[in-house]
Amino acid sequence: MNDPAAVEFEHVFKTFGNRKILDDVSFEISEGEALCIMGRSGTGKSVTLKLMIGLLKPDSGRVCIHSEDIVHSSEEDLSRVRRHMGFLFQSAALLDSFTVGDNLAMPLRRLDKLKSPSEIKRAVDETLGRVGLDLDIAKMPSELSGGMRKRAGLARALILHPTLLLVDEPSSGLDRITASEIDDLLLKVKKEYRTTLVIVTHDVRGARRVGDRIAVLDQGCLIGFGTATELDKSDHEIVRRLVSES
Amino acid sequence: MWKFFAFIGEVSLFGLKALVDTFRPPFEWEFFVHEIEEIGWRSLPLILSAGFALGVVLSMHTRGTLVQFGAEALIPTLQSASFFNELGPLVTALLVAGRVGAGIGAGIANMRVTEQIDAIESLSVDSFKMLVVTRIVACILILPMLTVFMDFASLAGGFLAEYLASHISPQLYLDRAFKTLEWANFIPPTLKTSVFGFIIGTVSGFFGYTTDEGSEGVQRAATNSVVLSSLLIILVDVILVKAIFFFFPRNAL
Repeated sequence: MNDPAAVEFEHVFKTFGNRKILDDVSFEISEGEALCIMGRSGTGKSVTLKLMIGLLKPDSGRVCIHSEDIVHSSEEDLSRVRRHMGFLFQSAALLDSFTVGDNLAMPLRRLDKLKSPSEIKRAVDETLGRVGLDLDIAKMPSELSGGMRKRAGLARALILHPTLLLVDEPSSGLDRITASEIDDLLLKVKKEYRTTLVIVTHDVRGARRVGDRIAVLDQGCLIGFGTATELDKSDHEIVRRLVSES
Repeated sequence: MWKFFAFIGEVSLFGLKALVDTFRPPFEWEFFVHEIEEIGWRSLPLILSAGFALGVVLSMHTRGTLVQFGAEALIPTLQSASFFNELGPLVTALLVAGRVGAGIGAGIANMRVTEQIDAIESLSVDSFKMLVVTRIVACILILPMLTVFMDFASLAGGFLAEYLASHISPQLYLDRAFKTLEWANFIPPTLKTSVFGFIIGTVSGFFGYTTDEGSEGVQRAATNSVVLSSLLIILVDVILVKAIFFFFPRNAL
């Protein structure tokens, strides 16, 4: 864990109206590490992910990605930082008027101007192949099952070869086998490309399998941070109950 | 009252930002062409059929009155003057506000609610330019073209009604329709629909892009887009007609 930090949260506060979402949250995630964020519903887990990619701004505090403060950066700088990040949304958030292939090609066409149409097609085919959707390139998102949509969303998040991948509830709405397949894909990405993973999940089994460390949020506060074994011995009952497999 | 002015300010800034972003690269040609097809091509059947029907109806109404004064020869003139000056631009804008405004408002709001806009942003793509600017520019460019179609469809409808009533020849009908019509009766009223297009695109884009509620927000965005666009079109039309009369005084005669 001596690698430079991929993500740094320093005294981050976030409120929506009168509701406190994050209350002085600080932590670091090393390069190549997989961190799973757990907690009860409405405790600020997804907000944490959106703060990491700059879709939300904290009320105060610093969020640094690869040592670059994204809270006070310009739109251009934020856009440049985001090019090294991928985000798998809970609902996959595929553009519903595009085919699966076009969903993947869209960022390449806009950001990688040097790529020719044939190179873009090759990159799309290759990435869809990695998630097992190579035969579904021409399908519309509405024609895909929940698990396929998640895999297509993951493929889109991976298309720009991110060094930091943010994943929001990869197993929600999926059966255990499909959820396990998504976990396998995430582990493969982490191993092959040494991608840093930040995963928000309720799935204890998946979190213990994929995560190097687990962060536990409750009522906007970070009440647990460490390996699953360390958290099993936590003094905090909520932490023990959330990370316990039984 | 304060909230109302704050809202007007927000919508105006939204539209202004869209205009500035129109000239800022990268240009979203692919999306722009798609919107031209969606807003223009797909609105054409509605515009043509509405224009034709309105032409028939207006001709039938005016015939009853003008015949009493022995002035039925003026029916084509009245028809063209009404549609080219006012009815064509206004009805086209209101129809497009209903069809396209609701679609833009609901479509963008749905993308907001289902996190598709967040997904676009997370891919380092400017969602405002991609989804809002392209639609506003398409509305600005398409409205005058649709207005021309509306004008000529109404003339066709008017001719049919007149032909069935008096067996007037197409040549004579057109002669009478365009006899007193000048370019000033056609170009400024047609071009003013670009302003209506800007209103439709901006208002609908604003309601869709800024929604922060669930499915109820989508529904509200669609409704508000149509209501406010239509209202603004009618109000702004008063100002634009006055401006046209100022710059082309012969139109006011």
